[in-house]
Amino acid sequence: MQQPTFEEYIKSFNGYLQNYFPPKDAWTPADEAVYKPLDLYRIPLKEAEEMQLRSLKWTFNYQYTNNKMYQNFCKERNVSPSDIKTTDDLVKIPLIPDTFFKDYPTGRDFALWLGNIFTGTLPKIVIKQKNPTYDEVINAFNETGMVVSYSSGTSGRHTFIPRDRRTFEISEYTVAKGGIAMMYPLWDHSMDGMLLMPNPKRTNVYAGKVCTIYFDIIHDVQVAIDRDISTDLIRMTMSGEKGLKSSVVNYFVKRESAKMVDLIIRWLEKREKTDQKIALVGAPFILSVVMEKLQREGRSFDFGERGGVATGGGWKAFEGQRVPVVEFRRQVEKILGIPEKYCLDLYGMVEGNGWMTHCPEGHYLHMPYSYYKGLVLDNEYKPVGYGEWGRYAFLDAASYSYPGFVISGDRVRMLEHCPVCDRPGPVLEPEIKRAAGEDIRGCAEEVRRMLSADLSKEG
Amino acid sequence: MLTPREIKSKEMIPPRLMVKMNIAGAFSLFKVLLTSLGTIKAMKAAKVETVYLQPTRPYTLPTSLPSDIPHATQKYLRLTLFCDSEAPLVHALAKQLGAGQKTPWEFAQAAFEFTKRNITLEVIPMDDVVPTLERGTGTCIHKISVFIALCRAAGIPGRYKFFALTMLDAWMEPAMTRAPLMKKWYDAMGLFLLHGEGEVYIDGKWIPADVGAEPTRQANSGMPITKLGEDSIGLWLFPIPGTMFRRESIPLGLGLPSRLLMDYLVPSSVVGINAGIMEQIRNGERIIREAGGEQAYDALARKKRRQQAPRADLQAHDSIVFENEK
Repeated sequence: MQQPTFEEYIKSFNGYLQNYFPPKDAWTPADEAVYKPLDLYRIPLKEAEEMQLRSLKWTFNYQYTNNKMYQNFCKERNVSPSDIKTTDDLVKIPLIPDTFFKDYPTGRDFALWLGNIFTGTLPKIVIKQKNPTYDEVINAFNETGMVVSYSSGTSGRHTFIPRDRRTFEISEYTVAKGGIAMMYPLWDHSMDGMLLMPNPKRTNVYAGKVCTIYFDIIHDVQVAIDRDISTDLIRMTMSGEKGLKSSVVNYFVKRESAKMVDLIIRWLEKREKTDQKIALVGAPFILSVVMEKLQREGRSFDFGERGGVATGGGWKAFEGQRVPVVEFRRQVEKILGIPEKYCLDLYGMVEGNGWMTHCPEGHYLHMPYSYYKGLVLDNEYKPVGYGEWGRYAFLDAASYSYPGFVISGDRVRMLEHCPVCDRPGPVLEPEIKRAAGEDIRGCAEEVRRMLSADLSKEG
Repeated sequence: MLTPREIKSKEMIPPRLMVKMNIAGAFSLFKVLLTSLGTIKAMKAAKVETVYLQPTRPYTLPTSLPSDIPHATQKYLRLTLFCDSEAPLVHALAKQLGAGQKTPWEFAQAAFEFTKRNITLEVIPMDDVVPTLERGTGTCIHKISVFIALCRAAGIPGRYKFFALTMLDAWMEPAMTRAPLMKKWYDAMGLFLLHGEGEVYIDGKWIPADVGAEPTRQANSGMPITKLGEDSIGLWLFPIPGTMFRRESIPLGLGLPSRLLMDYLVPSSVVGINAGIMEQIRNGERIIREAGGEQAYDALARKKRRQQAPRADLQAHDSIVFENEK
């Protein structure tokens, strides 16, 4: 079959996602910066810079006007939308630390907290319980079509983000578009997919939730973790709790986890006998365990260029033993036969809607710079230049339902251009670290923690 | 001898949830100990390597002690468990800090600063305020008792606020690295069972007082140096939802278990934690020195936090309906 041009490829991809596109006459500058470019990582710099300024100016104004909490925060810093005129002014936009999204009350106050950090018009939320749990509050919000999701840290404290449908869909769209573009020409809708994450319908963990789009871009998706994942379970696993309740939970988790590894291997065996394209998407830890089992049994596959692996964070595969990204890719090539160019990692976080994706040439993390601006800050929270290590922060124009101008707990180094490929925008070096004093966290870290205690015994 | 009436009146019974959590904590600890025999053996062998010298008391105790101390009977001013606010030494020290001369706020500030700065954190079994003052060290609960006793001696009502919590890694890690068993226990529980703050009643309001955190240890973790009225909740500690309770007294049942735990079950871990605390203090001293002094350090740390923190109000929201409140 003839290989589609990149334009045909993305048009075909967009064809399956028409429901994700807002009506064109209602596009904001941020929508335009996300949906219009064919490839988010190959926009000429000047054009991208104009889009970035336009979209961030619009979103900053929107947040300032529609979010009282953020407006007060800006007023205290004497910054208003009229101060943002040029690209150089963008660094004046007040940044919120990611810890802010971890500092919330319990019960009914938690519902009010979510309501008050939300930007825009909140749908009618009905809380039925007298003293609702986090899950009950989230579910009440999500019954209205919102997507309140969370991530966690080793302290067991969740980060909650309230997304409206539009913000959630833009986040899903960009994660998929980024991965698909970098994997050109591998993707086609008829391929088979294995989701190495919790079933998006049965969890509010963001890493799982954002994969909902996977079911729309691939016709047959199997889910590795198909059980309910609650905030309590995540808290117990992230903080390492092992009380009586969690022992019972862990017993069932362990049984399910062992079954999961066998399920993935059976899935691979079945597809090896066909010429079907495959895509494994999700937590690298799970695939790592699968590959270890295959290696112990002296087995391997040869999917070649009809296979792809897209991972999302969680690189601390076992306690105290870091699995380097490079080593993981080599293992994927050796055990699954999938070339390194089709084994890519994505870096994002629950607070943002911009996904940085490995380029196949050098595996540097490319930024979607038409609507998203990455910053590296020093200890005084002042931006530093390219090539310097510092704390990662970002300005995210695609965030409608909360202010997406955030300081993260990650330590990164940003380069002006990729040293390996010819994509024009800025990149992060592949090695992301946690800043001193921050909890270990990552998109797939919850999943790793949830399963590591059981799967590490597989060996 | 405590009477049931006194126990009830002075609020010495902990809430049911805390009792349940502590029982679970005890089981969890025994499990950790049983599954860590190798670690215990290794720690015994390495005992000589962990050097911990109890810090010297950085203040002089008053020598002239009063003899006619009035007996307080009002709630929050009277004697409670491990908080002998009528001890002559406590009254003499309160006088030295300005009791009777300063306004309640000024005195509470003086007592707060004295306790926060001078009583060094040391993991040690529960005992009363007088031995704590004589030693100059104690746990967060010892320190709260000193603060509350001084305030009560000066006629300012004081009470305890307790909760189970998780902490920032930066706060906890340095002390825990030398105490693998305690770390294992924390990991197994996913939380610390008990921490507290003091509260004093001034001008119709209960004012929080986190005397547990010395300025040096706060500097070691990059935090501002908190003052009377500033809560550490959300700063370095995060209470487990539903576990917070306020009491006139320390709850019953802390004394013996703390002695059993620290003196007999995990003494090596306790030494390790205390050595870690001293290291935090030394690091903090260096950080403050390098910042140009405590004031300069604090201003910088506060600037960082100010830059960072928006405030989310919890005002009623038209779109959020609480059905059970109709």
